Amino acid sequence: MKQFADWLSTTSPSVFIQTHNSWVIPTIQSIHIIGIGVVLGSALMICLRILGWAGLDQTLRQTTSRFGPWLTGGLWLMLATGILMVIGEPVRELVTFSFWLKMFLVAVSTLIAASFQINRRKHERRWEETLMQRRSIQGLAILTFLIWLGIIILGRLIAYDHIWGPWSPATKA
Amino acid sequence: MDVAAILKSIEASGLATRIRESLFLFPLIESTHVIGLALVFGTIAIIDLRLLGMASTQRPFTRMASDILKWTWAAFALTALTGSLMFITNASVYYHNFFFRTKMALLVLTGMNLLVFERTAGRTIHGWDRDPSAPRSGKTVAALSLAIWISIIVMGRLIGFTTSRAVVAPPPAGVNFDDFLGTPSGGGTSATPPHD
Repeated sequence: MKQFADWLSTTSPSVFIQTHNSWVIPTIQSIHIIGIGVVLGSALMICLRILGWAGLDQTLRQTTSRFGPWLTGGLWLMLATGILMVIGEPVRELVTFSFWLKMFLVAVSTLIAASFQINRRKHERRWEETLMQRRSIQGLAILTFLIWLGIIILGRLIAYDHIWGPWSPATKA
Repeated sequence: MDVAAILKSIEASGLATRIRESLFLFPLIESTHVIGLALVFGTIAIIDLRLLGMASTQRPFTRMASDILKWTWAAFALTALTGSLMFITNASVYYHNFFFRTKMALLVLTGMNLLVFERTAGRTIHGWDRDPSAPRSGKTVAALSLAIWISIIVMGRLIGFTTSRAVVAPPPAGVNFDDFLGTPSGGGTSATPPHD
């Protein structure tokens, strides 16, 4: 991975970002944070609806059709800006424990979100009438939201990967 | 007591020292700050888009406001708390930072924007509650709110690029610090500022 990161850092898009880093990287990171806001706000609204804490004037279908596309769009925006950050600073991103744990959790939460949407469409009435009231479903909604929070924390910890001590590849020669 | 002395005494406080000397505290406080601001921005954007008539147009505005704004305020409190904790670790550096000052000014501006809403569209709220969008004054406030909050996020990120943290955590045993890239060490600045 270190070799790949070193090679990536010599490619021309990477060199462009490195030589213009005073404004390119803060701009990309800011757009990435705006994406986080969109995704987390949307995830919160869907989670609160499942818990019955907000949006009770709306069905679950109305809630997911309002916020689902924003959640997906936000994720694409973060994928795009995230890839640009990796291209711009390959070693800083790829040679960290935080980054790879984050990617794993992104895969998990995206999978949960996608299977939720597919299942909700398949069993629309059951979701509205019974499934939402189930403790297990509500617990899963809270867990998924907590995973999103963990992803945000890990994203920030990429800059502080040394806190992982021996788990961090950045601390090895 | 002048400002410089006040800032120095804030930095010297036990809490600030504790955060500076910890390996974990500053990164975790900063992560929590990101969570808070993401929730503030995410929930405010939902409200602003409703005012602009761009989303949730079929829901009464007051219903959405009472559902959502309590989360916005809770998240704002979390963000302000974690922001203050970061500020005290290096108060005099942040105080003199251009982007920090701009960010604080923008926060005041967004508060004033909210007051404008209360005194204009907010007064006639029951007249347009079920309309797909707010009257012109409400739309202007919403557009300004989105623009200001996006600017606040950009300023916040720029603070991280233009200040070097005072956190001087001792390296844990067995760590080779030569391999670190872009890890700021306390103190001086360089031509291409390190960032986190």
